[in-house]
Amino acid sequence: MYKAQRTGDLSRISCNLPDRIKRVVDRISPEMASRLEELRINAGVPLMGVFSGFDRFICEDGTFTDKPETAFRVGREEVEELFYRLCEHSVYAYQEDIARGFITIKGGFRAGICGRVVYQGQAIKGMKDISSVCIRVSRELKGCAEEIFPFIMSGSHDIWNTMVISPPRCGKTTMLRDICRIISTGSEKAGFAGLRTVIVDERSEIAACYMGIAQNDCGPRTDVLDGCRKPEGIEMALRGMSPAVIVVDELGTRQDAESVRMAWNAGARIVATAHAYDTGDLRERLGFGMLIGKGGFERCIVLGIRDGKRWVKVTDAYGNLLYRNDKAPGMHDGIFRMHGHGDEAVGEAERQAACASEA
Amino acid sequence: MGMRLSARLKDRQLALQKLKDILLFLENEMCAMGKPLNKVFEDLAKGNYGGVWTPVFHLSGGILKEQSLNAGSAWRIALKETAATLPLTLEDLDLLRDFGELLGKTDREMQQAILNMEKEKLAAMEQKAREAAETTGRLYRNLGALMGAAAVILLI
Repeated sequence: MYKAQRTGDLSRISCNLPDRIKRVVDRISPEMASRLEELRINAGVPLMGVFSGFDRFICEDGTFTDKPETAFRVGREEVEELFYRLCEHSVYAYQEDIARGFITIKGGFRAGICGRVVYQGQAIKGMKDISSVCIRVSRELKGCAEEIFPFIMSGSHDIWNTMVISPPRCGKTTMLRDICRIISTGSEKAGFAGLRTVIVDERSEIAACYMGIAQNDCGPRTDVLDGCRKPEGIEMALRGMSPAVIVVDELGTRQDAESVRMAWNAGARIVATAHAYDTGDLRERLGFGMLIGKGGFERCIVLGIRDGKRWVKVTDAYGNLLYRNDKAPGMHDGIFRMHGHGDEAVGEAERQAACASEA
Repeated sequence: MGMRLSARLKDRQLALQKLKDILLFLENEMCAMGKPLNKVFEDLAKGNYGGVWTPVFHLSGGILKEQSLNAGSAWRIALKETAATLPLTLEDLDLLRDFGELLGKTDREMQQAILNMEKEKLAAMEQKAREAAETTGRLYRNLGALMGAAAVILLI
């Protein structure tokens, strides 16, 4: 059994927070902090922590509650201050990110922002009157793809075109990042030599580049095209970097599908993710679904959660099961959900939908 | 003495001219390269491009990076702490105090406009300093020479 190594530290976020919020976040117990997936900071409403499948308000002493009236409230000025801190007091340096609704922070964390959107013609120019910030805690799970990797290898120097699919927040990007790391580094255990890899990281989630430096370990043979749209990025990678493998996150449009075909025509392998509940769901999508099956993605990794437990399975292009594990290695499976209330049911329903085809 | 006072006036003009040049550097690094302010200030100080302004930008960059203050506050603190090393008048320092206030708070287009506005302000300040160096500087030099000559005559 491989043991995944979890990295990602809340203290790396708290140093960006305004003093009052920082004091509260620093008081959160290490165990809860290690489980925290998101920190939601909204002007005039209680500070909220999001865990796997449920959320809780945070009190001034760092404890969690269901009662918003007893929770710590964030001021409007604090949200504004947080925004400027996240931008390193240099809004212009992050204006493209802001127009896309998020900022990538040093350490690989991503902060989603909401406020009043400013348009210039048809395009979003920026955002003002920032009202809320949602900091997503990025955690690298090195080794979480070790077990499934032999099923996506097609030899010691080649891999199958692979698609990772799941509903939101089931760990697609985490899995993709680790697959990329193994492809690039190579795996002695699996008998795999490392391959030249390019990540087209449109939303800076895979490598989480900060000032050009990848904050996550993506392997020594990996080049990152950061903030680049997938169609252009795939073309640029093929022309400039001659990769053996191209890694992209969240395929979904017809243009994405055409770019993937272009990469295949150029002889590159693709490892990608997509939002879907299962391969059938993905196949039904116009343009994009045609990529699954013979002559397309030859391996599918499906992630999901059932009864509070994460599962992972690998199928071939025809849907034949190659591997299944009901406890995905290294991924905590939301045991907190067992003690949760309220929103838990919604989160659970959303994730368990992934199991619909399994039942 | 007269020569020294005259040289100080010249230094003042050169310092303001240097700051005007630095604005071009800032414009390139911020608006074209999109680097955050702390990095721009750090690079400016490291590259020794800042001349007499190097300590101000070095300190501002450090404050921005470590204390998470905004550029306006960082600049004011740095300017206050390094004022003694700058060949500027109190009036100049007053006018420059708000230089960092709008830096970093808007998009590139606006930052460019702000830097252009600062350039115009600095051009006016430099022009005044140049005139002062020419007129008052000449006066100091002549006065110095006169006093020197008077002292020699008295000694003889």
